[in-house]
Amino acid sequence: MKLPISWLKEYVDIGDITPIELCEKLVNAGFEVEEIIYRGEGMSNVVVGRILDISKHPDADKLLVCRIDIGKEVLQIVTGAPNVFIGAVVPVATHNSYLPCGKHITRGRLRGVESNGMLCGGEELCVTEDIYHGASVDGILILNDNEIIGEDMVKVLGLDDYVLDISITANRPDCGSVYGMCREIAGILGNQCKELDLTYNITVDKDIKQYVNVKVYDVDLCTNYAMSVVDNVTIAQSPLWLTRRLSAVGLRGINNLVDITNYVLIELGQPMHAFDYADITDKTIIVRRANKGENITLLDDKEYSLGEQMLVIADKTKPVGLAGIMGGVKSGIKQDTKTVAFESAIFAKGSIRHTSKDLNVRSDSSARFERGLDDYTSLLALDRALHLVQQLKCGQVVKGQIKIGEYTGLREIKFDKSRIVKLLGIEVPDKDIVRILNGLGILATIEKTTLNCIIPPYRADLTRPCDLIEEIIRIYGYSHITPTLLEDCRITIGGRSSVDTDINKIKGLLVSCGYNEIVTYSFGGRLTYEKLSVDKNADLSNNIKLLNPLGEEFSLMRRTLVADMLEVIAGNQSRHNEQLSLFELAKVYLTDKLPLESLPIEQRRLCVASTCQDAFYTVKDDLLSLLARMGIDASVTSCQCEYLHPNISASLMCGDRVIGSVGLVHPTVADNYNIKSAVCVAELDVDTILSVKDDNIKYKSVPRFPAIERDFALVADIDMQSGKIIELIRKYCKHSESARVFDVYCGDQVGNNKKSIAINVVFRGEGTLTDSDIEGEIKKCLSELNRQLNVVLRV
Amino acid sequence: MKDRIDGLIARCRGEIATCTCVQSLTECKVKFLGKNGELTAILRGMKDLSPEDKPIIGSLVNKARDELANELTIAEQSLKQAELNSKLNNEKVDITWVKNTDKSGTLHPLTKIQNLIIDSFVPMGFEVLEGPEIETEYYNFEALNVPADHPARDMQDTFYITQNILLRTHTSPNQVRTMEAKKPPIKMLCPGRTYRADYDASHSPVFHQIEGLVIDENLTLCDLMGTLECVARKLFSADTKVRFRPSYFPFTEPSVEVDVSCCKCGGVGCSVCKGTGWVEILGAGMVHPYVLENCGIDSNKYTGFAFGLGVERMAMIKYGITDIRLFFENDKRFLKQFNK
Repeated sequence: MKLPISWLKEYVDIGDITPIELCEKLVNAGFEVEEIIYRGEGMSNVVVGRILDISKHPDADKLLVCRIDIGKEVLQIVTGAPNVFIGAVVPVATHNSYLPCGKHITRGRLRGVESNGMLCGGEELCVTEDIYHGASVDGILILNDNEIIGEDMVKVLGLDDYVLDISITANRPDCGSVYGMCREIAGILGNQCKELDLTYNITVDKDIKQYVNVKVYDVDLCTNYAMSVVDNVTIAQSPLWLTRRLSAVGLRGINNLVDITNYVLIELGQPMHAFDYADITDKTIIVRRANKGENITLLDDKEYSLGEQMLVIADKTKPVGLAGIMGGVKSGIKQDTKTVAFESAIFAKGSIRHTSKDLNVRSDSSARFERGLDDYTSLLALDRALHLVQQLKCGQVVKGQIKIGEYTGLREIKFDKSRIVKLLGIEVPDKDIVRILNGLGILATIEKTTLNCIIPPYRADLTRPCDLIEEIIRIYGYSHITPTLLEDCRITIGGRSSVDTDINKIKGLLVSCGYNEIVTYSFGGRLTYEKLSVDKNADLSNNIKLLNPLGEEFSLMRRTLVADMLEVIAGNQSRHNEQLSLFELAKVYLTDKLPLESLPIEQRRLCVASTCQDAFYTVKDDLLSLLARMGIDASVTSCQCEYLHPNISASLMCGDRVIGSVGLVHPTVADNYNIKSAVCVAELDVDTILSVKDDNIKYKSVPRFPAIERDFALVADIDMQSGKIIELIRKYCKHSESARVFDVYCGDQVGNNKKSIAINVVFRGEGTLTDSDIEGEIKKCLSELNRQLNVVLRV
Repeated sequence: MKDRIDGLIARCRGEIATCTCVQSLTECKVKFLGKNGELTAILRGMKDLSPEDKPIIGSLVNKARDELANELTIAEQSLKQAELNSKLNNEKVDITWVKNTDKSGTLHPLTKIQNLIIDSFVPMGFEVLEGPEIETEYYNFEALNVPADHPARDMQDTFYITQNILLRTHTSPNQVRTMEAKKPPIKMLCPGRTYRADYDASHSPVFHQIEGLVIDENLTLCDLMGTLECVARKLFSADTKVRFRPSYFPFTEPSVEVDVSCCKCGGVGCSVCKGTGWVEILGAGMVHPYVLENCGIDSNKYTGFAFGLGVERMAMIKYGITDIRLFFENDKRFLKQFNK
């Protein structure tokens, strides 16, 4: 909210505190100040002058040469404006002056005649009729005759003022107004806040009931409704002091009656509506939910079709306004309005929020109702408006007020003051407690150990002892809090969870293999996921969908990490970052049933990818060794995965359970993502890994007997998986301790469609083995290899 | 005979002197001292000598044999050394040639910061507990004292999946889940992804928070300050100071914004702290009694504090990163910088 310092000073004596000092105090009391605006910013060395005489420019028909008294000297200035006259009081931009429109004025010559500045119009000074009457005139701004010659124009225009833009937390709607903020600042400074002037005289003796009848049908959506009537109104321009204040907070003057409602809105935070009484059919105002199919055209000239949950202000025949949001186009104040009915009501914030959202129509009024307003202030606002009517002499107040609903009174909260030290950890002296609370308008007394607090009706946020304790420390100052380290607390062991520890271990292992961790969004768009399928036609019907995404590209919760990984690879390649080895460990969101009825499964996945040389073997072997470090003896089998190469891809298995897949990305899919090189990608289910892992370490004695090593060169079909051969060797060679492939050769010497696989086998026994000990098993093994796999010893 | 021996010694010495490799030295050894060598031949001829000569010649031969054997060994050692030196001299590498570049893996800066923070709290007895990212409205809002139509719901632009299932807007729902599952004393830390509909240089729709919750008897606001100061000192520097400013969160009362003295300028004022000397790092407060009661914890007996820390924000402060979007772009040149 915007708080002009000049307005603040009307209610609170702030002494000689500078705006910056005031901001610091506000911040320390919980009010963030977004900006300090100096209203005269950009205008300097512009003063009031009087034209002493005018002569024609010798060389230019349209230019005039003026001699101007600016108090301390007389200046010669050339002007082109025709509306100047001898004796006119005008704004003079002197040598080296700046104008808010951005102009820098210096001494110079115009067609050979010396000109020591410039006479200014309203536009150049960026002022409107709201700031100075006559500002909209084309030409030089003619000032009032009684302005002091030589006075700084910033002062003359009432712009020598600061405006604080204060952000108000959601619990303090009472501070969303000038007066509310004045009350608060008085409490912060320990000063008094002047009472509002709510006085007015009743000058029409006819009772309000003879003018208007109000019925509230839906009290759940309209808890309070108050109305006053002003008769014999004169619609006119508001006085400058009022429009200048509106202008300071960014509002334009419209006419005196409308300006009064706006003024009260800013000063007290209560949105009011001024009805033209003549437009209310049958003198009756009905507050009700809209009927099905009802329409209304609002002040913004747009027609809206209303829903049955929307609250309207209606007369007997039709809605005349959308309650708390905007008045109807027909019910507003017009030049010939004779009688005005002021409405000051409280509408349910939820209803306002929904209506405003559903119709997509927002106003200053709806924003305030959404934050929550108090009924007590709604009555102050009505009286304040009537006071202003009288002050502006723009109408006669009719006797009586309509008030519907319960109005909040004072509340009491009492508690043992030991709770203060229990919560804060420090003692606040009794006299400070009482002083602070009283300063905030909370009547506080201490009897023995009990703190009694009478809560003013505008502080709905204060309901429990902790709320009052916060008020005390907020004003007493958090600088009184001294750090202690859980001195009176019990010991807890704490620690990372085993899941957390394992995840860190997995990440650490990948980092030491040279992979860079990435973090991508949990949601994506149709395009990103569809590209994972060769024909860009992936089924996304099981992806959880956001109702209100930032855009389609952020609308689907992911079911795989691979798509984002490929996007990151493509993104890096487009920036010429080559040699990528990346991983991400994050969740995917899985459900079988949409729309969601309960929370979905959040499964942790690990996605690993690399564009390095020999990427498939590198990634697969890195993952196998990672799994081995988790105590998982994983195996690989062929896999069917749409986005992977049909042959260069595998499932990673732990027994019969699939842990994940690894393979080169299908060239068409890589192309979909605009990836320019071969890339191997793997995705593993981390939750399964963590459920089957075995990180118990049990010591086995180191073998004492020597091993025998044998190398075999075997010839097999070109498609033979060496893993199958190894499996048979391990099965039939009972003494085999390990078997590994150390060379694979294809070529003429082994024949077409054949390859030679060289395998090293280590044998070891429970004693020193001799060749004869293993001859039998080798022979058996070779014959089984031949029989089962058509594998023979190379000769 | 003696002359013959002397001559043999002289010839042998001459040959040793001309040997340039171990091989020729071995041949020389065989020639003079071997089984069929010349000195051995003299020994064999001793049987033909007179008994008086035998001991004299015998001792001469033995002496010659010992001397020559010794000289051969010395010569061999020196030749071996020379050969090794020559071999080492010829083995050379270009020590400035970096053959394997770009091999270091890195943790993402957000992981690094998250680990730093967790590792600062864990020794104080905090346990790490995670919660779901897709949450119910109840845990995300209602149980945290944010009923429907509460203006605080505006503070957090929420992504909804259904009417009452949403992407959590903060890690605070895990306060409730923890209090429902555990009895005090509680010291909980919950890291995780959070979501809000906001997107610019300082807001990302996906971001990370770490929630902290402590519930026990005798806990005060002073303990909150002490705990945070302790951690801030571990994270930034040993003389970091902590400051509270009043704020508002529906689930804490009192609520505070927590500032730390600027780690870059030490509190004098610089671009990082925008001249104030302080940097805002998190929101915190004493757990609202409504929240405690909702979880079945006696709010007269127990008090607690909670804090929610933005991991991206901490990383931006610590590493001097000015655009939050860099964390999610995953440019290799960005990631590689966090390899220490």
